[in-house]
Amino acid sequence: MPPEQTNLLQGTLDMMILKSLALGEMHGLGISRRIEQITKGTFQVKPGSLFPALHRMEEQGWLVSCWGESENNRRAKYYKLTGAGRHQLEAETKRWRRIVFAISRTLEAS
Amino acid sequence: MGLEHLASLLRNLFHKQREERELDAEVRAHELLMADEKIRAGIDLQEARRQARLELGGLEQVKEQVREMRSGHGLEIFIQDVRFGLRMLRKSPGFTAVAVLTLALGIGANTSIFSVVSAVLLRPLPYANPGQLIFVSEAKPEAGISGLGMSYPTFTELRDDNRVFSAIAGLGGHALVLTGHGEPSEVSTVVVTSEFFSVLAAEPLLGRAFVAEDGQRGAAPVVVLSENLWHDRFGADPRIISRSITLDMRPYTVIGVMPASFHTPFLNQTNQVWIPLAQDPLFSVWMTKPLREHWMAVIARVRPDISSAQLRTELDTIGARLANEFPAEKGWAIRTEPLQQTITGDVKLPLLLLLGAVGLVLLIACTNVANLLLSRATWRSKEIAIRIALGAGKRRIGRQLLTECAILGLLGGLTGTLVAYWGVATLVPLLPSSLPKFHSIRVDSWVLVFAFVLSLATTLVFGLAPVLSAAGSDPHKELGEGARAGESAGPRRARTFLAVAEIALAMVLLTGAGLLMRSFSELTSVNPGFEPDHVVKAMVSLPQFQYSTPKQWAAFSEELMTGLQAQPGMQDSAIAGPLPIVDCCITLAFQIVGNPPLPAGTDDSANYVPVSPHYFSVMGIPLLRGRLFNESDSSSSAPVALITEALAKHYFPNEDPLGRHLLFGFPANGIVSREIVGIVGDIHDVSLGKEPGPMLYVPFAQAPLYGAEVVVKSMLSTSAVVGAIRAVTHGIDKNLPVTDIAQLPNALNASVAQPRFRTLLLGLFGAIALILAAVGIFGVISYSVSRRTRELGIRMALGAQPGSVLSMIMRETLALTLIGIAVGIPCAVATARLITHLLFKVTPYDPVTLALVPLVLIAVGALASYIPARRAMRVDPMVALRYE
Repeated sequence: MPPEQTNLLQGTLDMMILKSLALGEMHGLGISRRIEQITKGTFQVKPGSLFPALHRMEEQGWLVSCWGESENNRRAKYYKLTGAGRHQLEAETKRWRRIVFAISRTLEAS
Repeated sequence: MGLEHLASLLRNLFHKQREERELDAEVRAHELLMADEKIRAGIDLQEARRQARLELGGLEQVKEQVREMRSGHGLEIFIQDVRFGLRMLRKSPGFTAVAVLTLALGIGANTSIFSVVSAVLLRPLPYANPGQLIFVSEAKPEAGISGLGMSYPTFTELRDDNRVFSAIAGLGGHALVLTGHGEPSEVSTVVVTSEFFSVLAAEPLLGRAFVAEDGQRGAAPVVVLSENLWHDRFGADPRIISRSITLDMRPYTVIGVMPASFHTPFLNQTNQVWIPLAQDPLFSVWMTKPLREHWMAVIARVRPDISSAQLRTELDTIGARLANEFPAEKGWAIRTEPLQQTITGDVKLPLLLLLGAVGLVLLIACTNVANLLLSRATWRSKEIAIRIALGAGKRRIGRQLLTECAILGLLGGLTGTLVAYWGVATLVPLLPSSLPKFHSIRVDSWVLVFAFVLSLATTLVFGLAPVLSAAGSDPHKELGEGARAGESAGPRRARTFLAVAEIALAMVLLTGAGLLMRSFSELTSVNPGFEPDHVVKAMVSLPQFQYSTPKQWAAFSEELMTGLQAQPGMQDSAIAGPLPIVDCCITLAFQIVGNPPLPAGTDDSANYVPVSPHYFSVMGIPLLRGRLFNESDSSSSAPVALITEALAKHYFPNEDPLGRHLLFGFPANGIVSREIVGIVGDIHDVSLGKEPGPMLYVPFAQAPLYGAEVVVKSMLSTSAVVGAIRAVTHGIDKNLPVTDIAQLPNALNASVAQPRFRTLLLGLFGAIALILAAVGIFGVISYSVSRRTRELGIRMALGAQPGSVLSMIMRETLALTLIGIAVGIPCAVATARLITHLLFKVTPYDPVTLALVPLVLIAVGALASYIPARRAMRVDPMVALRYE
């Protein structure tokens, strides 16, 4: 896979995770179900991609995590956006819009 | 962000366990949450848990993916890999030891030998612009005389009348007696023309070098000292300049001191002096007499703008003119060659041979390590398959294996470095003294790096093999029937190929070693024609200015002999000119009186030795016909000579030489006609390796020299004999030095130091190659046996006898060895032909060596496969069939 594409996809996953967390704190499964819900099942985030992404974003300071109780009394790790995370979400959103705009223009032109 | 990054890096590195616990809990919770979801959707508990596990995609895999994401992952993995690698290497100490030792031997041996070769052969001579320096000599191609020196008249012609040299100088060497500063001692004296130091562009440490005036006849005697002599004898006194020292009882004014870094071509000694030719008591005669003795070594610096073709043309022109002017010069041509070539010519082939041999050792070492690694790789393919099945990434495993191999390579390299330093330190004192030592021999760092990198590359490339094969393999297959079906053909073939290559290379090395050993044993079993046992020799030299007439020399020798005979315990004693092999030789032209004169430009020659009457009994040389010398052969009686059998056979094939006369003499102004009074046995005069040639003996009393070798046969200890010689000599003159003391057998031994050195080293390399090849065969066979345990079990269950299993395994080895030998023989013969010049009485096709070496290889192969074969024989069919 060429690196650009990976970056795009990685950036996309990051953006979707940040977006899901914009509404409030959530555990891993919640995030992946949220993304499935928003994209109507187009994106299914597997644990093998989700957890590395969460841990990476936590290391980058976009997220913080803490242990909490789930709705049916299970202990789960909850993730929350930080200020830097919100900032990142805004930047990602802007960037994404620019890309989508550019790609649409390209497709229309042909 | 950077700070957070650092914080998480530190957390990851130092709170690893907590992080790991958290990660595990998080992923497990995730799985439980997913199961909960499914239960809520109405799936029963068992099924929900199964589906959740599937959806998770493997707990360990997810965790590993998170770990790989973490910062500090690379470092952490590296540390982990190093620890794991070290543990794996510790777990198989046999493998590790063999691999590390193999690499260390290969690297160490190569670096040591190359360090010697580089210092002796490859580094340029330590003079300014060494490429311009050439050796100029006169050769007589039709008489087969080459590489000799030059006569003084030819030298002056060249010096005064050429347009190609910026400077040209001649040199010769002998020893003078230094008295007055401590014990009288002989000091190596280089007799030079005044241009000597300027040709080599050498600057003195102190004072000045020679100028043209110093070289004039009648100039004040001057001397230049070597730094070492200045230290040892004159306490490094800076006021030495313009002081006077005594050489051969004659004062010389010190004008300069040459630094220790200056080396005299051909004649280098640490303690030496340089004097102008005009001031030399011995060689200066040749400046005035129009004698064409080719005694002088001539070096020249070619002008930078002169091409080699111009040089050739110019020298040919001068040569032709000389031949016209001096009929005696007819047939002589002027030859040149680069000075470096002249100096290193003799040792080049033996050194390159050794270099080639260690190169082979390195090759075998790498092959062996490759073989070991491949064997191990197949051992570990199952381990790797399990790890892949458990969630390890292939790149991750690859990294780990690479780290392990790199550790192995580094260990081998470091041990090899130690071996190299040890090897150089051991080798230097063993080096034959005839080796030119212009540069101190140190471990050559470039070669060390090269060998190090090569060993690392070998371990890495062959260590990766299991990763590559694992990448293509399917864990199911490897863990299922794959393991039992036996090894795939690829690696097996590679290993067989490597083992065959090792045997072939070992064959080449062993053949070389075998030929040298055979030739050395031939050389040392040569009967020299005399009996050196219980003979002690010592040199006594007479200072020229004190003992200047032949009469004095003869009187001294007579007094010395009488004194020695009177000492108790001396069986017999004599003095002689050059001793055979030890000193070698004065070659003189002679004419047979009564025979027609020879055509101009040709002459007959024989080696010449003046001896006292008892010489033949001391040396055990038999008289074949006529009589030996006796006390009545004196300077006043008729001149007589003894000839050797070889001379008699060659020059008097059909007549009786006794009573005939020969015309010869030394020095050339002493030519007289001598009657042949007897024929004595042939001896090896030049060296053990050269067939005896014609020789002439004359009574010392009739042709005395200013110094001679004393030989004493005695059953007393060497020190007692030397003490007696010293006592008698100093009883006559307390200023005379007694030097070059040796037991004759030891002196003969020293004459074969070079062949012994190369035979020893090549034998050592051959032995290493043999051991390595044995290890290679052992590896291949023992691996093959372990892989075939099941097959062997079935065979035995079906009734195969242990003996037949044994012979099956041994046959496999034999086939391997035979292929290796078949490949090796032509290579060995081709290599042997390259070293024909180093062989004595042995041809490169020596049937004994070519038959013996394969037998040794077969025997070693059988030995190496015997242990695994025995293991195969003891396979219990029941165990083998249940195995795996």
